[in-house]
Amino acid sequence: MPKIYLKDIAHGRSGDKGDTSNVCVFARDPKDYPLLKRLLTVDRVRAHFGDMVKGDITRYEVDSLHGMNFVMHKALGGGATLSLRLDSLGKSMGSAFMRMRIDTDD
Amino acid sequence: MKTVTIGGGQGFWGDSPDAALHMIDEGSINYLACDYLAELTLSIMQRQKRKNPATGFARDFIDLFKMGGSAALEKGIRILTNAGGMNITGCVEALRETVKAGAMPSCRIGYVLGDDLMDKLPALMKQGIEFRNIDNGRKLEEITDRIVNVNVYHGHEPIEQCLQEGADVVVTGRAADSALFLAPLKHEFGWAADDWNALARGIMTGHLLECGGQGSGGNFDYDWRSVPDMDDLGFPLVEMTESSMTVTKPPRCGGLITTQVCKEQLLYEVHDPANYITPDVTVDLSRCTLDDAGPDRVAVGGLAGKPRPDQLKLCVGYHAGYKVVTYLSFAWPDAYEKAKAAGDILMKKMTRKNLKAEEIRIDYLGLNALHLDVADTSPEHIAHLNEVVLRIAIRTLDKDEAAKIIPEVSPLQLNGPPGASFFGGRAKVQEVIGLWPTFIPRDAVSLEARVVEA
Repeated sequence: MPKIYLKDIAHGRSGDKGDTSNVCVFARDPKDYPLLKRLLTVDRVRAHFGDMVKGDITRYEVDSLHGMNFVMHKALGGGATLSLRLDSLGKSMGSAFMRMRIDTDD
Repeated sequence: MKTVTIGGGQGFWGDSPDAALHMIDEGSINYLACDYLAELTLSIMQRQKRKNPATGFARDFIDLFKMGGSAALEKGIRILTNAGGMNITGCVEALRETVKAGAMPSCRIGYVLGDDLMDKLPALMKQGIEFRNIDNGRKLEEITDRIVNVNVYHGHEPIEQCLQEGADVVVTGRAADSALFLAPLKHEFGWAADDWNALARGIMTGHLLECGGQGSGGNFDYDWRSVPDMDDLGFPLVEMTESSMTVTKPPRCGGLITTQVCKEQLLYEVHDPANYITPDVTVDLSRCTLDDAGPDRVAVGGLAGKPRPDQLKLCVGYHAGYKVVTYLSFAWPDAYEKAKAAGDILMKKMTRKNLKAEEIRIDYLGLNALHLDVADTSPEHIAHLNEVVLRIAIRTLDKDEAAKIIPEVSPLQLNGPPGASFFGGRAKVQEVIGLWPTFIPRDAVSLEARVVEA
């Protein structure tokens, strides 16, 4: 099966607390939730973001909403006004996450 | 069965007043809560207050009250807000003047003092509280000479006390956003202070409403095209009973309330969903359910609460240097290559001028300024870029160091790669404020609720 973007089967939103970014990721269709749980390992997410995220990443599952919450530390270039990034609050971390290429045959 | 309806009127300092005014007119609400404070807002307000002691609070709220206050008071809608910021009494005075000047119905204004701990900090540190940074474990004494503000995130109690004393409007400083919503619900339903499940429902009402339009179709990733009339976006409200909690929005406005809309807001800025810590209750939303309950109606269930924490979070802002951000734009052909060359020229000049920077960051708007490492920067993509904006940001300890780059950017229109276009005027040096997240024992904080006539 050809690779697709994560956004094709998931949606979410990013938020900030200091230098920590959280991205929640939900299955568009509940039947894809097990696939998302399998694919979106912490290692996979870390590899996707590379140098953008310098700290620990923790994944929390909320099965009742068919979603997961990824909490990524040292992820906003210092956070708040200390960060020199254009998007210092990480409003686009969600869409950056959704850019991940996934293979639904995995 | 008793139903209490509460709306979210403002999502941040600078939000549009339109939805709050519409909600007062058509929302059939009992309470309206307006959140103005993000993590850095108090530091910015403190800087304003230092320049002009009459400022330091969210004047937006005064403007909103001028427009919608009379209607709210006449309808018996009670308003709660953390607009007081760093100057709560100044905000209350401005409200009283507004009531007087606008010949508005007389009212009672409650306010909460005691979240500003700046003056008490030396004594607290003397008692042995180290205020270690949650992220790196360092002691606050490292930065005490550079602190801008120290405010504690407090819970619902003093807000509820103002309501009990008949306040029509309650003004706070750093109340936790969601405490503004919990207070009236607890007041109305008479929930016990340790009825953690009930308090969790009140706090999550706040969580779903405190960002205004982000809870009713704004910033909606699932299907933003499906949101009706975003030019007239209504903000969300919650209808609460003892046995149900329903998110909806006022009639005759744009926006959308679906399970997907509520999901995206539910985990927004939450870390561990099983332990969402607030001053009032630790919420377990890991088994939360959202069910379609009709057009623009979502029923929320499965929320549970655990005892509140013994420590409260402190919001400490400190001076952390200066920064300058500057831009220069380039068009096809070779837009990226030209922007990159301009950046290299500027960096060589800065090296020659012995710039002492803590950090330098170069990005290309139109290519990778938002998605950074995840952006598509393949040669094929770069070759077809119509335009690119070079963005250079530098952070320094010294103000004069930061200023070094400012005069060097616009000359590149004549002295650099072809077609450079400078816009927006010369950059300005901005102060950098760092955040020091830490805790304070709950019993070291004393808050005071007062009510005055207006």
